[in-house]
Amino acid sequence: MTLTELQAKPAAPARTAVHARSPWQLAWARLRRDKAAVGSAVILVLIVLIAVGAPLLTHWFGADPTKTDAAGGLSGDGLPLGPSAAHLLGTDELGRDVFSRAVYGARVSLLVGLSSTVLATVIGVAAGTLAGYFDGWFDGVISRVLEIVLSFPYLILALVAAATIGPSMTMEIVVISFFSFAAIARVVRGQVISIRAREYIEAARSLGAGHLRIMRVDILPNLLAPVIVLATLLLPTAIVTESTLTFLGAGIDIRTPSWGGMLSESTQYYQVAWWYLFVPGGLLLLTTLACNLLGDGVRDALDPRR
Amino acid sequence: MSSVLVSVDDVAKHFPIRRGVVFPKDVARVRAVDGVSLEVKRGETLGIVGETGCGKSTLARCVTGLHPVTKGRIVVDGTDITRLRGTRLKEFRRDVQMIFQDPYGSLNPRRRVGSIIGDPFVIHKIADGAALRRRVQELMELVGLNPEHYNRFPAEFSGGQRQRIGVARALALRPKLIVCDEPVSALDVSIQAQVINLLEDLQQEFGLTYLFIAHDLSVVRHVSDRVAVMYLGKIVEIAERAALYERPRHPYTKALLSAASVADPDLARKRERILLTGEVPSPVQPPPGCRFHPRCPSARDRCAREEPPLPERGDRVACHFPVDTGSSRTRASAPGSAT
Repeated sequence: MTLTELQAKPAAPARTAVHARSPWQLAWARLRRDKAAVGSAVILVLIVLIAVGAPLLTHWFGADPTKTDAAGGLSGDGLPLGPSAAHLLGTDELGRDVFSRAVYGARVSLLVGLSSTVLATVIGVAAGTLAGYFDGWFDGVISRVLEIVLSFPYLILALVAAATIGPSMTMEIVVISFFSFAAIARVVRGQVISIRAREYIEAARSLGAGHLRIMRVDILPNLLAPVIVLATLLLPTAIVTESTLTFLGAGIDIRTPSWGGMLSESTQYYQVAWWYLFVPGGLLLLTTLACNLLGDGVRDALDPRR
Repeated sequence: MSSVLVSVDDVAKHFPIRRGVVFPKDVARVRAVDGVSLEVKRGETLGIVGETGCGKSTLARCVTGLHPVTKGRIVVDGTDITRLRGTRLKEFRRDVQMIFQDPYGSLNPRRRVGSIIGDPFVIHKIADGAALRRRVQELMELVGLNPEHYNRFPAEFSGGQRQRIGVARALALRPKLIVCDEPVSALDVSIQAQVINLLEDLQQEFGLTYLFIAHDLSVVRHVSDRVAVMYLGKIVEIAERAALYERPRHPYTKALLSAASVADPDLARKRERILLTGEVPSPVQPPPGCRFHPRCPSARDRCAREEPPLPERGDRVACHFPVDTGSSRTRASAPGSAT
């Protein structure tokens, strides 16, 4: 290559596209540096995989979670058997495989936890945004409803609902969502009130933007960070509440494998069968701890002051 | 076509003060704007000055239709905007735009500059796709921004550049009137001049009319053709710029001007400074009679009883005992020179 050719073609392209990293990209970079959050995310992904692959896992390593192992499920005295080659995590008082029941129980916990979190978040954001955006009597009505909901003893209502309607997964999701959306709605309402006073909302109005466009373009994106944090911290609460309700008999049918149901039944056998209590209890602890740590990590990552 | 673009007629804007959570009721009203009449002529810049809390920003938001008025009429280009709703209101928005005081608060931090400036085109369904991008970049170039910075976030610009973004957004729909609410008061002095020059260039190029609100007297003097002085929700004096600054007739105007700093130290030493005593009274309970009388150096009994009207013509000063300037100003400045 001659000198003139070199001069004609500059080595590096001088024009690079000016493209800034968005706040989301920056938050993602911060989150990836948080070891506790990354570890928790890995654990949660594993638990989701376990729940999704429950049929395969039980096919390979376990047995039908609802069937009693008539041959080797119980000891001669009729007590649960400890971990063995046939039953990796032992059996319960009916001779059922604890491993298989715990694996299927992850499905219940995640399904109820995630659906009620999503439902509560959607309703909470909608109610909070509308209350904060349209002040006046509308805000007054919604705020009073939220205060009533927040001051209601949810366990009592859940027990009453279970007694009258009968326990089911749907009822559980509805009860958990109903008692968690108010906390989200209150936070969102406060955020919306503070965002609404910003000049860029006035600017949008003076351009002729309608209410829906202002909420969609200027308010919701600014709400996303606090809402994500609230939702990730709501998830473990919802999972624990699900187990609590099932433990108390106000949740799903006790025959369906679930962590709460297993805990409930194992309390009578913990002196002779530690594995029966520890497996669902440990999984519950691990899941909620991972959710909480991830939630804290997300909160820190989305907070640009840190 | 009438030479008057905006006619504000006896406009008042009161904000209720609410008490009580469960059963709120109005306990008092803040009379932010309390009976203001003025006209803005096509192509001119009308400056509005006054202390913080005198109602000038509220007046600006009434003219842009952001605040519904409590009383009175605002006619823009032959249409009374105080009763517009729905699509008619949206149409009106194209004619009147606003530049905001805070270059940080007036741009959504989560959105890229290109989409912020493109908002007017999207909202009014004027352009989209490649055409939208082209028009936004034209606007950015027009206000002196690098069009390649289309994808940046507001946080990556300086205060002056952000204000240019606000100007570009206000200019997008080629409005007839731009209301500038303290457009430079949040900027460094060196940047203020740049933004003011930009506003003046754009006025010449597009024949814009400005309603220019500021508390900085020298900025208003630089940009305005006429100036109105506000005090506690009312206009106390309105006049041609030169007349107002050289021969103020309202005691408040005179005090305000005397408080401003002067670059020439010899002149500054010779100047008589009028120090006003007391605080600005609360707009919740404005004083009876002339609102300025408790602080006015030349107040007499009549001022506490009788509110001085703002005359429709002649020397437009709302005072029973205006400052004597020797000659009437209406003769000093040729009538109709601003049209």
